[in-house]
Amino acid sequence: MLRFTVRRLLLLVPILLGLSILVFLWVRALPGSPAESLLGERADEQSIAQIREQLGLDDPLYVQYWRYLETLAEGNLGTSIATRRPVTTEIRERFPATVELTVAAGIFAILLGIPLGFFAAKRHGGIFDNSSLVLSLIGVSIPIFFLGIILKWIFAVRLGWLPSIGRQDVFIEAEHPTGFYVLDGVLTGNWRAAWDALEHLVLPAIALGSIPLALISRITRASVLDVQNEDYVRTARAKGLPSRVVDSRHVFRNAMLPVSTVIGLQVGLLLSGAILTETVFAFPGIGTWLQEAIQNRDYPVLQGGILFVAVIVVVVNLLVDLSYGLLNPRIRLAGR
Amino acid sequence: MSVAEVEVREVQLEAVGGGLWREALHRLVRNPGAIVGALIVATFVFVAVFAPLLAPYDPREQNLALVAEGCCPGPSRAYPLGVDDLGRDELSRIIYGARFSLLIGIVSVTVGLTFGLLLGSIAGYFRRLDSPIMRVMDIMLAIPGFLMAIGIAALLGPGLLSVMIAIGVVNVPIFTRLMRGSILGQRENDYVLAARAVGVPGRKILASHILPNAVSPVIVAGTLALATAIIDAAGLGFLGLGPQDPATPEWGTMLTDTVRYLQTAPFLAIFPGVAIVIVVMGFNLIGDGLREALDPKLRGRA
Repeated sequence: MLRFTVRRLLLLVPILLGLSILVFLWVRALPGSPAESLLGERADEQSIAQIREQLGLDDPLYVQYWRYLETLAEGNLGTSIATRRPVTTEIRERFPATVELTVAAGIFAILLGIPLGFFAAKRHGGIFDNSSLVLSLIGVSIPIFFLGIILKWIFAVRLGWLPSIGRQDVFIEAEHPTGFYVLDGVLTGNWRAAWDALEHLVLPAIALGSIPLALISRITRASVLDVQNEDYVRTARAKGLPSRVVDSRHVFRNAMLPVSTVIGLQVGLLLSGAILTETVFAFPGIGTWLQEAIQNRDYPVLQGGILFVAVIVVVVNLLVDLSYGLLNPRIRLAGR
Repeated sequence: MSVAEVEVREVQLEAVGGGLWREALHRLVRNPGAIVGALIVATFVFVAVFAPLLAPYDPREQNLALVAEGCCPGPSRAYPLGVDDLGRDELSRIIYGARFSLLIGIVSVTVGLTFGLLLGSIAGYFRRLDSPIMRVMDIMLAIPGFLMAIGIAALLGPGLLSVMIAIGVVNVPIFTRLMRGSILGQRENDYVLAARAVGVPGRKILASHILPNAVSPVIVAGTLALATAIIDAAGLGFLGLGPQDPATPEWGTMLTDTVRYLQTAPFLAIFPGVAIVIVVMGFNLIGDGLREALDPKLRGRA
């Protein structure tokens, strides 16, 4: 297991370096030089030359890249053009909201998707199975933001059951020691704030979780159908084990292996989908922040934000990979 | 004619007969899902091509008198799907919007396919180039596709072309990996070895054995990629990265401002959204149907 872990960790190095090169070149390719974008359109030649020298833009590209790596290593992602604040500070403020939303969407997709897929497979060919197939087809065909708009229209605008924007009602006073509003409410004993934050999460989480839900239930169904025909399942049934025991001990456990792969792959989808979902619900996370940066052409924010999200996805995927090694000895051995 | 030559002829006959393709087509037309998908896509293409003939109004024509009493009058006999906040006919805009979705889908998938197949074949054949190409692809795959599309589109500035390039680039590593895996897998197959053993020339093996088998997963992935491309294009449009010309109605861009009118005119969001869902569903249905039809494991069960 140790060798497997070390191998995977070493693979991380070239990927992270490659990411930093891509993001670095991305900035170089931007229309207008960074000096001009810092000073604005009406900057005169002299001050542009001055800034160019200050920023070292006249140095060879590899020197500039090395300098960029050094500032990255210091944890410096630059300064937002729109707010003049460090990008890292803004990420720290914004990221908990996105994590909260992503986790809620993930929980929704897993808790609903696995049982749905399992029962669809158990009643293979029945009405439940067929309707779950149709639903999952719609689930993978509907753009997240459109589902978000529809949910908002029905449950917030028409029925008024749930709030339509933001993370917390403006009239609720709450402290936020962790930045995760639901958790904050629970920790400070402010149940009203916790409940309110939860209510604000429901619609965005359902919208964001819909595609993973569809994928998870489809894979669960296919995987259970596969495993059900395995020899060891037939043997278990033949020796007279009650079908509940066969299902839980043999079918379910083995069927979960491909499902766990798919769940792991959803992290990137959830984080990039959060950009659209947050925009629909004006949810103040990384997504709305990036969307505002697109509108404002705030390139340092886009650069830092995209690099940050990509690194998070890479690291989470690595953790998921490592956990397969624990789950499935076959993978661990194959990795040698 | 030597024995080996006769055998070559036989092997060729079988390959040219296109057993796989004819069978696949057979299975495809018996799959109700694929039929529905094909009908949806055919209608979509028809609407996109003949938009100027089908649309009752010019999609750019503003009629501010219609929205004088507030936004926006809903469906009526003159305007079957209502009018938007500038008094433009919603139906005509959706009909013209089909052109953009079709164009973006086809161009971006073609870009992705072309470069992906090229790089994938190179990586699959030339072992020395395999590792460098695939490491770059791994890095690209490590970034969530939609996030990379945002980055590229933001770099190029909003517009039709940048949306197509952005989504095309995102597709490149997907097809590269698929093609390479496919070719590597086919090369080691028993029937390839058998063909080589009876003396079929390498070029023929490639053309009549490896490529047809390697290409079917690519066809499936390509159809499904069209679905994703249309969804992602709408997403980029929704974020303000789509075509900015107010005259060009792109479905995702049409949804951007509607959130504001959700209270009074929800249909402005619903109609373009439903159009996206139906078209994407059509491509998904065809893709799933093709996957089943081209699966060699299911051959002979038609």
